Amino acid sequence: MSALPPSRFSVLSSSSAELLSPTNSSSRFSLTSAPSVATATTGTPKPLSRPNIYDRPLNKTRSAEVSASAFAFLFSEVVQYMQKRVSGINDLERRLNTLGYRIGTRVLELMVWRTESASKAPKREIRFLPVIMSIHTNVWKAVFGKPADAIEKSVQNEDEYMIIDNEPVITRNISVPRDMSQLSCSSFTAGIVEAVLDGLGFPARVTAHNTPVDDFPLRNTILIKLDKSVLEREELFK
Amino acid sequence: MSHHLFLLSPSDTPLYSLTHYSAKASQVVPSPLSANLPSWSTSAFAGTLTALSGATSVVQASSQGGGVRMGGGQDPHVIQMIANASLDVIEEVVRRDNGMYLKSVDRFNEWTVSAFITPGNMKFVLLHETKNDEGIRAFFTEVWELYVKTMVNPFHTAHRVIVSTVFDGRVRASAKKYL
Repeated sequence: MSALPPSRFSVLSSSSAELLSPTNSSSRFSLTSAPSVATATTGTPKPLSRPNIYDRPLNKTRSAEVSASAFAFLFSEVVQYMQKRVSGINDLERRLNTLGYRIGTRVLELMVWRTESASKAPKREIRFLPVIMSIHTNVWKAVFGKPADAIEKSVQNEDEYMIIDNEPVITRNISVPRDMSQLSCSSFTAGIVEAVLDGLGFPARVTAHNTPVDDFPLRNTILIKLDKSVLEREELFK
Repeated sequence: MSHHLFLLSPSDTPLYSLTHYSAKASQVVPSPLSANLPSWSTSAFAGTLTALSGATSVVQASSQGGGVRMGGGQDPHVIQMIANASLDVIEEVVRRDNGMYLKSVDRFNEWTVSAFITPGNMKFVLLHETKNDEGIRAFFTEVWELYVKTMVNPFHTAHRVIVSTVFDGRVRASAKKYL
């Protein structure tokens, strides 16, 4: 313990300081001998170290696609995991939304990088209508492999838009129990949409709603309620 | 000649910064104002004040006879302030310009500010002294790729400082290449 500055640890008795010190840990938690930790502290890459993410290309390849069942199992686990930790349907939807948001921020950067990075003058979208069109086609294609089925604009409220998916990929294998009929697992998708809109500077509240019709019992509507600032900004362009 | 790069999150938190000293010769034109400035001020803000008034650098004669360069527009805190001040201009331009690379978006004394805005509203801000549009564009494009690779990593969250040594090394390498 003499190597440590004594003033910092003066509160602790020598025995408790020993317990806290990683170097004196028992063999069960022998972190110091793990190769990854060793490279992190010394900063010199070992020949055994894994290839780092900066060496991997970001472009999509055929072999990088994941099977739908792998995804379905993963999403099923996600829903189960969440359900154990929430107090109600709203809470569950909110959590799924948060998860989707984190994915959405990444989807946006990656998707635009793939289309724009080769260009001499890469562009961002700054108008709302092209953005929602690109969510309907590009984001859906990047995430679900097919475009969404429709975009609708609310008649009553001019700040509301809807993206409609007749057969959402993520809820294909989900049957919601009758007593939870309000729940829409597409809240996850809503989170993705919200993140994309937020990233491009169109803050909005995005929610998912089940809107079954005879032909499409799984039909889902993603409702986008735009922030007031977005409408004001759109006015300026006119 | 130096370059200063800042990566700012959508909420303007600095996630990464780099100072790069280019081997290329600098052709800095001294501002006429700088000659008229008193160089005797020793207050804590002297460097900031002289920098703001247009001096490129102030040479103070020490008692040993050698000149000690201090203050001026090269001080780290002045650089940071200029970068932060340019954010107002950048945010203004971002609303109406749909390009990601905003070249020479702001100017302050000897510094020109160029910026790159990713779709997720990350801002890369670069302070430079000479005109080098193509080089800076290529540099930003490489930094963008590195940034996307960083952010798809699940262990990186949106507002966390980028500490990866590999990231740092790659950014330095492309700075050396293009700036």
